Amino acid sequence: MVEWEYNNYLMVVKVLNDFLSKLNSQCSCVLQQRIEIRKLRQGEHLILGFSIGGGIDQDPGQNPFSEDKSDKGIYVTRVTPEGPAEVAGLMMGDKVMQVNGWDMTMVTHDQARKRLTKKNEDVVRLLVTRKSLEQAVKHSMM
Amino acid sequence: MFCRTQTTRAAIARGSALEMEIRRGKFRRSVFLDTLQDSDIQKKIDHEIRMRDGACKLLAACSQRDQALEAAKSLLTCNTRIMAYMSELQRMKEAQVMQRVARRSDGTRSSDAGPMDDRLPCKGKVAISDLRIPLMWKDTEYFKNKGELHRCAVFCLLQVGGEIHDTDMVMVDRTLTDICFDNTIVFSEASPGFELRVELYSCCSEEDYSAGSAPRKLASKLSSSLGRSAGKKLRVAMDPGACSPTSNAGAATLLLPGPAVAGPKYHLLAHTSLSLSHVQDSFRTHDLSISGNEECSYWVPLYGSVCCRLAAQPHCMTQQMMSGCLKVKQLGGDPPSWTNVYGVLKGTNLFCYHRQEDMEANVEPAFTIAINKETRIRASEKDPHSKAQSICISNQYGGEEVTHTLSADSREETHRWMEAFWQQFCDMSQWKQCCDDLMKIELPSPRKPALVTSKQGSLYHEIVIDTSDDISTVTDILTRRMQELELRSQLGTSPPWMSLFEESPGGPRTPRLARHSPRSPHRLPHSPLSSLRCPWPGLLSSDASLTSDSDSPCSTSPCSRHRGWAEPLSLSSPRFRPRTLSLDAKLSTLRGRGYGGVLQCSCQPPSSSSLAPIPAQCVPQATLSCSSSTSSNSSSEGSHSPSSLDGTPFSRPSSARRSLRNLRAKLDPRNWLQSQV
Repeated sequence: MVEWEYNNYLMVVKVLNDFLSKLNSQCSCVLQQRIEIRKLRQGEHLILGFSIGGGIDQDPGQNPFSEDKSDKGIYVTRVTPEGPAEVAGLMMGDKVMQVNGWDMTMVTHDQARKRLTKKNEDVVRLLVTRKSLEQAVKHSMM
Repeated sequence: MFCRTQTTRAAIARGSALEMEIRRGKFRRSVFLDTLQDSDIQKKIDHEIRMRDGACKLLAACSQRDQALEAAKSLLTCNTRIMAYMSELQRMKEAQVMQRVARRSDGTRSSDAGPMDDRLPCKGKVAISDLRIPLMWKDTEYFKNKGELHRCAVFCLLQVGGEIHDTDMVMVDRTLTDICFDNTIVFSEASPGFELRVELYSCCSEEDYSAGSAPRKLASKLSSSLGRSAGKKLRVAMDPGACSPTSNAGAATLLLPGPAVAGPKYHLLAHTSLSLSHVQDSFRTHDLSISGNEECSYWVPLYGSVCCRLAAQPHCMTQQMMSGCLKVKQLGGDPPSWTNVYGVLKGTNLFCYHRQEDMEANVEPAFTIAINKETRIRASEKDPHSKAQSICISNQYGGEEVTHTLSADSREETHRWMEAFWQQFCDMSQWKQCCDDLMKIELPSPRKPALVTSKQGSLYHEIVIDTSDDISTVTDILTRRMQELELRSQLGTSPPWMSLFEESPGGPRTPRLARHSPRSPHRLPHSPLSSLRCPWPGLLSSDASLTSDSDSPCSTSPCSRHRGWAEPLSLSSPRFRPRTLSLDAKLSTLRGRGYGGVLQCSCQPPSSSSLAPIPAQCVPQATLSCSSSTSSNSSSEGSHSPSSLDGTPFSRPSSARRSLRNLRAKLDPRNWLQSQV
């Protein structure tokens, strides 16, 4: 019984290995994308429909999305389904590099939030990066 | 006059604990015979000296820190015992000298006789168990996940008179909320006026073990680490002026405990004294006196109290104090008739059996007469029919007074029975609450030594993955490790990951293993799953997310398997583990992108998950708490989003909800701030 399960485990490990090497062999260059989000007015508020995490004043080790755990950039932690951000093509795990021309790689969390939620702006244009690997996986699963 | 300590007294029942103790150890008999006492103590001292030498040698030879700490603990215990024995020896010698002097001056006095009311209460067993010392770390310490873990080794020394026991050693770091000692320590011969001294010693685990100071300094350090009163007593006892020449020579050489040993040194951190008033058949909290402060290397932030269960079993409750043939007068009827019974006085009852054989066969007694605090016993000579005195025992049974009249065969027997009753009353008055009911003392059965697996118990503590490592290297390492360790799988059914390869949705759903609360993370071994001692407890007990994300097999494989990796981290390691970055990061890049932003896997294991209770709440709550916390942070610039919009993701199927919940937990705003925009 023990041997049988152990063999199973080895098989799983092998499968995992194969899968990973297959994925690794694909292109893993970093993709930059420009995303334009139109804010949605809900009553008094203008919302974009996503959440951010990170910032130079935050602990980068807590970021589940960053590959480099010392990366203090701003990451998209959640995207509200059918919200403006999702419609525009923003995805969870994207790293926000710029917002309307403002740099977002060296900002505090609150600065980032403020740059996204300016009341006089209806549209925000984001420059985001995401690993193309993820995109490839998503496409293959769709 | 009958004195309790006389050997002629047939008070020791056959097969009783007292008799066994006499048979087992010579030093017990010495309670009755004075001259052997000295040599027995000497033997004990010699034994301890030999143990101490062994501990010193071990300390010098060992390289591992754990071994060194254990050896240092044994050394401290041996030294404490030696000093206790020596001070006892001193006291005995002094007492003998005083007695001899008294005898010489007052020739008529016999050393055995004493006034009638100079009665000694019986001794008893005192047991202390389930010691727990709460700690009080600063809140910042709990949520820190970086930095070195400052660890201390602690243990307790328990002393009643000359008996000294030590508990096992426990490593304390900031992931622990209480120091728990599982040992049950029983002191077999304690008088009702006992003083149980509890001392907590600690030693910093990362200390550099420099060579000790001169032996004299070490001796003074040791005497001070015993506690002020014990040290004072010792110094008084060791004072050359007080002792007789014969014993002093031995004492002088033993005062300096051999060459100074390099190694970890324990320091007294806290102490307290418990006595009869603290004895209770349940857990109680007592105050600790703390010595040392934050500046000391051996400091552990104690809350200031200690919880334990202190129980006492006086011998009068557990042993037969008196037995013999009696005649009981039948109530009513003239002329009065007498029934022959075999009476046994034990605990708070006088059991009357028809015959002696009944008692030995454990048959129920014919009747039982209570002998407790409310009982009145008197001897009367009123019975004209028999020459012997009769004993009247009166009890109050619910408002009604019932008197039993007993008679023994001879005058001497009656005397002995009266004596036994008086002794019983004396014992009950001295032992107070311990004589109301028999307190249970559970002696721990001799356990096999604990499994050798380290406290961490997870492969992740042994694997350090460099960011440049390839995944295949990792899997190779893991495979090799699996071959080294025995994978003892207790699953009768197929392992959970098998369902990955089955197309059927909704595989065996195992309930989510509850996160252990911060209360006592190291008590996890009680749960049935982790008692498997398997390095992959997470895999074996992996929850439904592993099997239920089986809508499409390909999609589930990366994240499900990843889940499998992630789980053991939070389960098997009660303490913070070093981060294995690359494996998690690499696997995280394979995350399936959300089917509507729901299914995903988080790579970063919750490093403080063993401490802060992960909110295993349902998702809406987590999100609401997220948004509410952000709304409290953010200004009113329109970043607050109505909760209705948040409600939509949660109409997803439950399988996705669970994995979403995982991510929610990991994105806990307490750990990492997130803002809604």
